[in-house]
Amino acid sequence: MRKLLSATLVLGLASTPVTAAELTVITAGDQNMVDYINEYLGPLFEEQNPGHTVRAVGTGPGDAGSQKILERFEAQKQAGSTVWDTDVAVVHEKFAGPMVSGGYLEAYRDTISTGKLVTRTNADMALGASVKGYVMPMFNSQTALAYNPALLPNPPKSYEELAAWVKENPKQFGYNGIKGGASGVSFVMGWIYAFGDGDASKLMNGPFEEAETKKWDAAFDSLKAFTQNATLTPGNAGTLDLLSRGEIAIGPVWVDMFYSWQANGQLPPEFKLLLPAPGMPGQPMHYVIPAKAPNKELAEKFVELATSPKVQAEGIVKRFNWYPGIDAQHVQAELDAETWNKLFTDVTPEDLASYGKPFPIAPYNNAILEAYEAKAAN
Amino acid sequence: MPRRLLGLLLVLPALTVILFLFVLPLTLSVVGAFETEAGYGLGNFTKSFALYSSDILFTVVIVSLSTCLIGLFSIAIGGYLTLGENPRAVAILRWLYRWPLFIPFIVVGQVLRTFLAKNGLMNNILVGAGLITPLQAVSFLDWRGIVIAFVWKQTPFVTLLLAGAMASVDRGTIEAARNLGASRLRILIEILVPQVATTLMVGLVLSFVTMMSVLSVPLMINAQSPTMLTADIAFRINAYGDYGVANALGLISLAATACVAWFYLRQSMRERG
Repeated sequence: MRKLLSATLVLGLASTPVTAAELTVITAGDQNMVDYINEYLGPLFEEQNPGHTVRAVGTGPGDAGSQKILERFEAQKQAGSTVWDTDVAVVHEKFAGPMVSGGYLEAYRDTISTGKLVTRTNADMALGASVKGYVMPMFNSQTALAYNPALLPNPPKSYEELAAWVKENPKQFGYNGIKGGASGVSFVMGWIYAFGDGDASKLMNGPFEEAETKKWDAAFDSLKAFTQNATLTPGNAGTLDLLSRGEIAIGPVWVDMFYSWQANGQLPPEFKLLLPAPGMPGQPMHYVIPAKAPNKELAEKFVELATSPKVQAEGIVKRFNWYPGIDAQHVQAELDAETWNKLFTDVTPEDLASYGKPFPIAPYNNAILEAYEAKAAN
Repeated sequence: MPRRLLGLLLVLPALTVILFLFVLPLTLSVVGAFETEAGYGLGNFTKSFALYSSDILFTVVIVSLSTCLIGLFSIAIGGYLTLGENPRAVAILRWLYRWPLFIPFIVVGQVLRTFLAKNGLMNNILVGAGLITPLQAVSFLDWRGIVIAFVWKQTPFVTLLLAGAMASVDRGTIEAARNLGASRLRILIEILVPQVATTLMVGLVLSFVTMMSVLSVPLMINAQSPTMLTADIAFRINAYGDYGVANALGLISLAATACVAWFYLRQSMRERG
């Protein structure tokens, strides 16, 4: 009798279906990133995989958010943990390279079906570091100048015109420096592309040469003078906030945030965007799966769903106004022309092609940020 | 002997806590300030000064200015509490002035953010009252905002200490001065303040050290340049993972607080001796 009992017990244990897992997704970036997972992607995944739940954790805006994720992985690797606490992470482009070279990531792109829908080079190379196979772009984003046509009917079309305009209209241009989110960082990078004495394409494509970093002095001197006539805002959202209150007339913003704020009614509908010559940087955010993720298969399934043409169309483009991460033609087929065109109302595909730039490769990126602190901010 | 051992045993838990949670992290941070990629050296300090010299100056100036203002306001409030002749006004003041003590710094930052902004409550009131035109409105969210936040939050703390000390001053000296015809202001400056100078200084030193370490207020009100060292330390760690320069900046602010702590220690030594 006892034997029978234990036998049924063993049988019972063996036949229990896989227990419900909690998928932990940590994401860098502004609150909209957490909202995207909590409000859209998570519920969709839970619906398709009954029993499992998705937990989203935000680590904060700008590079600081991704840096926290990087340190988390580093610490767990050094501690020799066999199971890490993260299933999927969303990180900025700059941090994908160090994560791959640190050996923190799983090469999963070729094992999921959506892997071949991405051909853009920024999914293979991240600011000069090879990340091929380790990342799937969640979306591509772009910075641009947002302006208030009521205060500024003829906005400056290039960095040069902007610099001249700010001199005549002090405190009407606002940006968030480099400590409050990436739209300010992007503006500074664009400034160096425009006014640095070196070759901007070398900054974007490498190779890194120490001598190149000495060619920015004049550009930073002019940026310092420029900043004295600018209003410094507290962050990406802060710039939009000041714009909406009419405290500034123009400032650099993320295109997706601009459209989302407009859709929510936080920005007047008549506000517009423009991409100044010679260009401003944009970047993708990448999905990565840690090497020791607790629910690897589920994590792959999650990223597969997140990068499927349907989700990219419905979630990324339609709801959150980002440019798609996978190749555009797969996404365009899923959307009506109106929604697709809305994404390109102010910033046309031609503008994007000629003025949408990548960020400088990581070593130049850091060198520019530090030079900004030493020369323009100090 | 067993008795001495017992005493040692009793003090051991406290000693361990201090060693591991205070002395060890402090030592690591001091050592970390000198660690560079090329071994030990002053690299982190040269970088700190190259990048943040104006912020270092800014921090010291702002905190010193705030300390002076706190001193003035707390003398004024404490003085009125002690010498005031209208019992109702004294009671109201006594009830009101402590409120900021119970409000955390981060909330102070948040409250002042909405109050001091260009289109914030303060300017709206001034515009509404016809005192300024909307075009004259300026944002106070720069160094002035930080000073206002610090003074607003720390004045009650110093006043609390000061009012207590003033209340325990021998009333006879005040009465004597009044009998001889001294005005209340003169009594405050020449009789009261000298007698409570020690307490005042201790309160100001503690405020100075507290203000040096506040991160939330500069982050909320003005995280741009120039800003306070705490915001730079957070930025070095969060954006670059650069603990070396962050430690060096920490040591620099430690040097600033050490200067005022020296006054404090000298004072307490004198009291004990």
